[in-house]
Amino acid sequence: MALSTSRTLLRSFASLSPFARCSNSTSYGDSLWSSEPRAIFKALLQEWKLGFPSLSRALYCSTADFKKNELLELQEVEKVLSDVRADNVKVIPVQKHCAWADFMVIATGRSTWHVKNIAQALIYKVKQKQKGAQRLMLPSVEGQEGGKWIVIDSGKVVVHALDEKARDYYSLESLWTTGTSEKEPIQDLEKALVKIRRKNNSKKQAKKSA
Amino acid sequence: MAATFASKCSRVGRSLWGGLGNNLSGLLSASHETACNHFLSQQQRTFIQMRTVLKVVDNSGAKKVMCIQALKGKKGARLGDTIIASVKEAYPNGKVKKGKVVYGVVVRAAMQRGRCDGSEVKFDDNAVVLVDKQGQPIGTRVFGPVPHELRQKKHVKILSLAGHIA
Repeated sequence: MALSTSRTLLRSFASLSPFARCSNSTSYGDSLWSSEPRAIFKALLQEWKLGFPSLSRALYCSTADFKKNELLELQEVEKVLSDVRADNVKVIPVQKHCAWADFMVIATGRSTWHVKNIAQALIYKVKQKQKGAQRLMLPSVEGQEGGKWIVIDSGKVVVHALDEKARDYYSLESLWTTGTSEKEPIQDLEKALVKIRRKNNSKKQAKKSA
Repeated sequence: MAATFASKCSRVGRSLWGGLGNNLSGLLSASHETACNHFLSQQQRTFIQMRTVLKVVDNSGAKKVMCIQALKGKKGARLGDTIIASVKEAYPNGKVKKGKVVYGVVVRAAMQRGRCDGSEVKFDDNAVVLVDKQGQPIGTRVFGPVPHELRQKKHVKILSLAGHIA
């Protein structure tokens, strides 16, 4: 009985979600029988970290010997942000519930120009780090045209540069510090469906049934 | 974790245990499995094109949108692409109203999408997250699983707002 329940759990992990289905999920399922499912699943997800230029580097970094060849290190990011005088810098370790990033750094800029400047400074730092190399590997930047929310994705470290209004609007810290499942909207729905007795503030005397 | 999945599944109208039970029974009876997985008996899923109705999975206020244009691709949009859509159904007090023309990023598609390691991923429904013209999400939270493909397509903002990443 325990084996069948663990099998169902592993199958749900292998199929990635109740909604998603992988064509060769059975092959992953077979490899999952032997060892601890969560670690293997995390390793698989790490392999699928697409998008940023140093994909192959990150693979070797995570599995083989430790090479300090990341695009941006956490200490460097902090130093750059303090140089640029970004407000309210918060570093959130999301290794536990995010498989695609290790640290989320959130910084606030005082104006759109300041936010753009933070992004420029980080890219400049990366360029400086790779001076003299044959090919420049730059981190991906999103939101550069509008200066409201700029995301710099450099593999393990993801930097979010927002302005004040955007920070309040999106409230990213509350999303990552409480965990992956977001319970707020479900709670609002429950409150909305509850029938509340209307308050009776009338001064009329209540009729006494004889 | 199974409980939250079950609640999401019940909304779609399918039960998680029913789905897993199907998988298990498929494992046990080989003939039933081959009949189910025969490629001619399965539905061929295609692109998201004009008149496709998609579900909205953020808290921007819309419920259903209809695609009016796929921005990239002659045949239609796939997982991770941006579309222009018209809001067909919306919550009464939300940021977007019915009839508004919005941009959206497809986060779940019934059509399978190949990954670089050779596997394919497909979902049970078509879902979209509303964004503005610059790519900023209109809502503040994204529900349901989202795939990794968004990172490649430079939609890290949606990934960071999402709770579960497939």
